[in-house]
Amino acid sequence: MSVLTRASLGYLRRHPWQLAQAILGICIGVAVMVAVDIANQSSRNAFVASMETINGDATHQIVGGPGGIDEALYTQLRVQAGIRSIAPIVTGSVLVADRNVQLLGVDVFAEREFRTFSSRVTAASGENARGGNDVETLIRDMLSGSGQVLIAADSVAELEVVVGDKFSLVADGISHTATFAGIPGGEATQQMSGLMVADISDAQRWLNMAGKLSRIDVKVAAGDEDLLSRIRTELPSGIELLSAAGRTQTTAAMSDAFMTNLFAMSLLALLVGVFLIYNSVAFIVLQRRPLIGVLRALGVTQRQIYRLILGEAAVLGFLGALLGVVLGVWLGEKLLVMVARTLSDHYFAVNVTDVSLASMTILKGFIAGLGATIVAAAVPAIEASSYQPSLALTRSVLESKVSSNLSRLCWAGVLFVAVAVLILWLSGRSLGAGLSALFLLILGFALGIPLFLQYMSRALERPAFVLAGTAGRLAVGSVGKSLSRTGVAVIALTIAVSATVGVSVMVESFRGSVSDWLNTTLQSDVYVGVRRGSLDPALMEELIAIPGIAGYSSSRRAWLEDSAGRTRIIATQSNANAPANVRIRDGDPDLAWRELRSGNAVFVSDAYAYRFDVGRGDRVKLNTSTGEVAFEIAAVFQNYDSNDGAILISREVYIRYFNDPQTDSLGLYLEPGVVAQEIMEKLRAVADGRQALIMNSNAKIREFSLQIFDRTFVITNVLYWLAVVVAVIGIFGAMMALQLERTKEIGILRALGMTPGQVGVLVSVQTGFIGLLSGVAAIPLGLMMAWVLIEVINRRAFGWNIDFTVPSTVLFTAVMLAVGSALLAGIYPSWYAARSRPALAMRDE
Amino acid sequence: MIFDVKKIRYLIVIYLIIMNLVSCGDAAPPDRYRPDVLLGASRLSDLLGADHRSGFPLVLSPRSFEFPADHGPHSEFRNEWWYVTGNLIGPNNALFGYELTFFRFSLTPQITDEKDSAWQTNQVFIAHFAITDVTGDEFHVAQRYSRGGAGLAGANGDPFKVWLDDWSIRQIDQGGDEPIWQLTAHGDGVDGEQFGVELQLSSRKPPILNGIDGLSQKSAEAGNASYYYSLSRLKSEGSVHIGATSYAVSGLSWLDREWGSSALSAEQQGWDWFALQLSDGNELMFYDIRRNDGSSDRHSAGTWIDSTGNPLHLERQDVSINVLDTWVNDRGDVYPAKWQITIPSKDLSLTVTPVLENQELITNVRYWEGAVDVTGSNGNRSVTGRGYVELTGYADR
Repeated sequence: MSVLTRASLGYLRRHPWQLAQAILGICIGVAVMVAVDIANQSSRNAFVASMETINGDATHQIVGGPGGIDEALYTQLRVQAGIRSIAPIVTGSVLVADRNVQLLGVDVFAEREFRTFSSRVTAASGENARGGNDVETLIRDMLSGSGQVLIAADSVAELEVVVGDKFSLVADGISHTATFAGIPGGEATQQMSGLMVADISDAQRWLNMAGKLSRIDVKVAAGDEDLLSRIRTELPSGIELLSAAGRTQTTAAMSDAFMTNLFAMSLLALLVGVFLIYNSVAFIVLQRRPLIGVLRALGVTQRQIYRLILGEAAVLGFLGALLGVVLGVWLGEKLLVMVARTLSDHYFAVNVTDVSLASMTILKGFIAGLGATIVAAAVPAIEASSYQPSLALTRSVLESKVSSNLSRLCWAGVLFVAVAVLILWLSGRSLGAGLSALFLLILGFALGIPLFLQYMSRALERPAFVLAGTAGRLAVGSVGKSLSRTGVAVIALTIAVSATVGVSVMVESFRGSVSDWLNTTLQSDVYVGVRRGSLDPALMEELIAIPGIAGYSSSRRAWLEDSAGRTRIIATQSNANAPANVRIRDGDPDLAWRELRSGNAVFVSDAYAYRFDVGRGDRVKLNTSTGEVAFEIAAVFQNYDSNDGAILISREVYIRYFNDPQTDSLGLYLEPGVVAQEIMEKLRAVADGRQALIMNSNAKIREFSLQIFDRTFVITNVLYWLAVVVAVIGIFGAMMALQLERTKEIGILRALGMTPGQVGVLVSVQTGFIGLLSGVAAIPLGLMMAWVLIEVINRRAFGWNIDFTVPSTVLFTAVMLAVGSALLAGIYPSWYAARSRPALAMRDE
Repeated sequence: MIFDVKKIRYLIVIYLIIMNLVSCGDAAPPDRYRPDVLLGASRLSDLLGADHRSGFPLVLSPRSFEFPADHGPHSEFRNEWWYVTGNLIGPNNALFGYELTFFRFSLTPQITDEKDSAWQTNQVFIAHFAITDVTGDEFHVAQRYSRGGAGLAGANGDPFKVWLDDWSIRQIDQGGDEPIWQLTAHGDGVDGEQFGVELQLSSRKPPILNGIDGLSQKSAEAGNASYYYSLSRLKSEGSVHIGATSYAVSGLSWLDREWGSSALSAEQQGWDWFALQLSDGNELMFYDIRRNDGSSDRHSAGTWIDSTGNPLHLERQDVSINVLDTWVNDRGDVYPAKWQITIPSKDLSLTVTPVLENQELITNVRYWEGAVDVTGSNGNRSVTGRGYVELTGYADR
């Protein structure tokens, strides 16, 4: 071991706090990054894997509009066209023991070519065993519509059934009896969580899809364009042949923007970590000024010093990244639950059973951590190697050097901000560019903070003296005079706090907009629907005829699908002329509604308008059951419940074009004086034994919607709180460094008669001041972030149109948070300083 | 084709195996489908015991046949089939044999009238299709199965139609007196080669009722019988396709129709079935049921059909069959491969020779069903002929 290495080891051993800070900073940054990556990848993989399991060997799928596919098409393809590599599927969501289960209705005779699990039974051991003796009776029972189902092994455990057990299954609000016939066979059953296989006849009966298919799976050998075109010629208008993998990908891609945003949040944590590393390494360098000076005088070259510092940083970065990966894997599992739930709330059902730990994830996190450390350490390393071999620089020289750099830094910051603005201006709709600009803005702003600190510290020195005498002046003034130590810590804290401001303002603005929208949308007094299903038309007629109901509106939500992906379509009916429950963004509502009802017109949501860059007067082409039809956009409307945008259409027009008479929910307007609770009881009485209705007051739905909203942002909150934790560690480290540095100074103060208590207060005031300045600096940065998040990031990612509102509490909280974190971080350093013994301290040199 | 006990067993085994195939999914080596391996002896007898046929009507007494209605399905019975075999000749004397068979099974005795779904059914159809390319020395086989619902497979009497996917025999309106049936099947062979047949069939003789007035008793037990009729001389014209090549062909086909619900007699092992169409306008059908001890069961029987379409019922003792040669398949199973058939009372002596040795169908079970050449004498006149032979119980041990 070289002398240099030994010297550096010895130093680090004597300064464990610096060591811990550097390692922890990078560790948390890496951990967050790895965790987000794991959560994103795992949930996406789980979705793709379950789709692949369900799709089996299907290369293509024939899909129809919201009304499904006429089953005669399948017979025609097989019997008339002689196409054999096809399988009919009737699928939908059912409730078993109050859990959502996907029901896959298959024709066992067509299944062999497609799926390994749906047409075979695993003769599992134990009580779920289904021996060979029962195989033919199983097929016999499945075919004759007696409700035999195969259930994936893990669901069997949850449902606590054994072979032959009857259980009840709720579809479209109607309860049916099914019999557990066995566990599906094959190796793919692990991905089948929440899946149930039944005969297609039972599936049609339960899902109320007699005569209809959900889709037709198709297996075509690679490159067999001939067969594909043969199939296409058989398809009626409105029915499409799509690639199965493509369908999975376009569905999975719906969550891309969401995942990109999460990833960006994780980078923020890493960015704060980078500042911490810089802070630690810079401190280590400063501390060893005399040592480095001596080493240089002894003939150690600049290069060797540079290497030494960088080498130390690399070791710290290595350890930090390593710990970060381990912590990230743990954190990733926790985060995964939240991400999976958000995906299920907003995008697609995902049932994550496995944590995918890709080596790429680990490598990425590790390299990012190590890289960030080296980049962060490069500046102090260069600085250290530049020390003259003469005697070490004195503090005052150093500080004045830093000081003269401040305006240069500030100009660099201005340049960064200018570049960011330029990017925002020029980058059109790119989410990546928007996020890059956001980071540049943050960096640019951060570079101006030291100058701000110096200015504030100078400006407030006098008021502080007036207020608190010499101690006050010392506390405030020293902040500006020890920027080499405090500057970076303040930057880290500012960024972290501004992130809380930015994200809170964004989330609050968003929440406010959603809440307004809910108020507008939820005009009816009582909402009636069926869980995961649609209302029985006959029952519906009876429901709306109940005395006390003044009027109603109905809605049907369905997906339109083509090769470009899925689009939400909402069909509404209302007995009002211009229903107040839809907020039209542009134009005259009366006119817009007249156009909507007149025929070929639709409304599109904000998100849709942004995504496809269309507006009032433009046309959208929709794949209807009568072929492609162009609809005029009569208005853009406010909507927050469809992530990729929605199309609103009048019910009459919808039924005419999409051959789908279903209704998902009814909104009932009550006559004055009628109590919602009483009407709900009447509704329940009418529906009793026919369909299990879900009834809610508008307040209830509002509450529930906001709950989902809040749930969505839990992850965001977690991530920015992690950034705050990193920053608090930074402040702690910086204050510790400062106190260690000032041991002699404090010794003198003590010798001059300051009590330990006064020293403690001095240090606390100092940290509090740092916190205050961070908090104040964080507010404009935070608001700017919020603006960018709302107007750029959210718009580009989701097309949302959010009204910018700044709750005053957020600003106050931000300052309190900054001061509080700083004070918290300053507790130990204050105590440390207070307890220092003057004699010992002054003997330092 | 006969409805003998062994045949029932064979069919039920096919059915079970197919069910099992459906449920097992993968292509296992053929051994796996041997009934003993698959089911175990005790299971087989359980299966064919009273439980499994309870509820189905039994064939106990003669019935009056109505045509074309009886060409259609009799879904109340457990099993039924439409069994077409034929010999064709193309340009340059290219010889072909073909077999297209539709099996129908009722899974349950109940026939549900009220259905919530067109897919709900107790009917299952299985079809086998084979072409013997004599000149090309190749034998092609394909099989299919389907539920008898949603229009995917089924049968109808008037107008006649039986189909599974795009394999079908259906009456086409030709405006003439005799209905014409269009037979269509195209398959992908195990070897990947495509083969197909498109024929128009018209019957030269009225339906022939086999057994006693169409009731064919298979063993001593009451109800162990089937209803059985044949169209023994169907003039056939159309085309055969092997790979990319098409041949214009003509010839004669034979339709066997049987239905019933009966079960197996444990001591019966298999059968040899002959359907021979002679150049002098006569046909001979005979099934020889083999018992486990190798002897011929006394319920073996047949029909002699003269050129005007008059049937003569043949008992076991009316016919003698001598095996002249054997053929050994890839597994070492030994099949008879050449026969001398004599009917002393008619002064008939025929030598029956397979056109190809290997016409074994290795589908889910193994059986041999193939085109044969016939030479011999009827009285003092020499006759030739072509026909089909089915051999079961040789490989399914």
